[in-house]
Amino acid sequence: MFDGAFWSINLELLRGFANTCLLFVVTLVASLPLGLVVCFGSMSKLTPLRVLTRLFIWVIRGTPLMLQVMIVFYLPGLAFGMPIENRMGAVMIAFIINYAAYFSEIYRGGIESIPKGQYEAGQVLGMTDSQIFFKIVLLQVVKRILAPLSNEVITLVKDTSLARVIAVGELIRAAQDIVAQQAIIWPLFYTGVFYLVFNGLLTLAFGAMEKKLNYFRG
Amino acid sequence: MAMLQVSGLTKKYGALDVLKGIDFTLDKGQVLSIIGSSGSGKTTLLRCLNFLEKPNGGKITLNDGILFDATDAKTATSDEIRQKRLHFGLVFQSFNLFPQYTVLENVTLAMDLQEKDRAKQQKRKPSKEAIQNNRKKARQILKDVGLEQKADSYPFQLSGGQQQRVAIARALALEPDILCFDEPTSALDPELTGEVLRVMKELRERHTTMIVVTHEMDFAYNVSDKVIFMANGKIEEEGTPQQVFDTPKSELTKAFVNKSKNL
Repeated sequence: MFDGAFWSINLELLRGFANTCLLFVVTLVASLPLGLVVCFGSMSKLTPLRVLTRLFIWVIRGTPLMLQVMIVFYLPGLAFGMPIENRMGAVMIAFIINYAAYFSEIYRGGIESIPKGQYEAGQVLGMTDSQIFFKIVLLQVVKRILAPLSNEVITLVKDTSLARVIAVGELIRAAQDIVAQQAIIWPLFYTGVFYLVFNGLLTLAFGAMEKKLNYFRG
Repeated sequence: MAMLQVSGLTKKYGALDVLKGIDFTLDKGQVLSIIGSSGSGKTTLLRCLNFLEKPNGGKITLNDGILFDATDAKTATSDEIRQKRLHFGLVFQSFNLFPQYTVLENVTLAMDLQEKDRAKQQKRKPSKEAIQNNRKKARQILKDVGLEQKADSYPFQLSGGQQQRVAIARALALEPDILCFDEPTSALDPELTGEVLRVMKELRERHTTMIVVTHEMDFAYNVSDKVIFMANGKIEEEGTPQQVFDTPKSELTKAFVNKSKNL
């Protein structure tokens, strides 16, 4: 099995995997901060903003990501006569919006779990609201949400395979191309190893972060 | 002229009158104990003084300056309030230390942030010297409350009594005009209340002006210059500890004092 064909197939798969990684990194880097913005919207004292944000979260969480990818890709062409050329771009937009919605709910849970006394202690010490959030609350929130966050990030790695629905050449798509051309099935099954190793590394990284924040309790 | 003057202070939660017009004065260097049963409004009064609750009516005057006037909206903007809060320090029943910071950092954090604010306003970098001085000052205060050995510990490594002493140090660091305590020993095991009360007595020796909401009747009797007994959102009786505890005039005060003595 470990002949020349094996290595050339690996090379093919790695090309697909590069796209998988690109989608993963871009989604993560954009949706983590965007999620915080959405979170503040969903906790806003302005009722219209809060209701609108929660409606948005309901729609995004209530429909399949695969469907959202297709809508982002096809709708501009069908509705406004402006077809999207960049397939990867469309996938990224759909993923960023989707993951921002999920992250925002994780953040909200974390922020609302911080005791009121922490805010009041900051207030009586004359701190501003932003000082209280960034200097007191944020790190405690991060510690509390690491576990649910790692869940979501690991799901993202696997969700990247949905990009193939609009023919973006990610890992599964690359394997299917090989299957179709060479009439062998194992490369498709073999992609599981890529995902598994990737998620193994992520699990280690999250474990390290949890350990790093173990120096305090609260 | 009294240092602190509170007049006609009221607070409502919906239809519930929690404070029904509170008037009292406090002189510099005096210790005021506020006693009363749960729900009498004593904690709410303290929270109003620290602007954690916004009073619905009344006036708070400190050192001849008006801190709060319900009829003047200018005294209630958030920036104003933030500045005015610094006149008061507050020690909470449940300590509320910042868990991710060491004992020393808990004490220096607010001082350092103030220096950063000042630097920003004056368009300069925060001075290293000021930050150093803050650390020095914090160490001295920690020494005063008997915790210089614990400067590098984290709150979860301390006993309740030690945590509360850190909380006192943290409040003292900003040099408030008046230091307030909200039932500072109620969350502590009985054997740990002594160390906190001892620190408070030492503060009194140094003429720190204090307002203490407390269930510790011995403390109220022995340490305070003035005692206020609150019932149903009003000051039912006030006077020296001897007047309130030994010769109460009001029936409610009598009942409360007798019940406390029998404990």
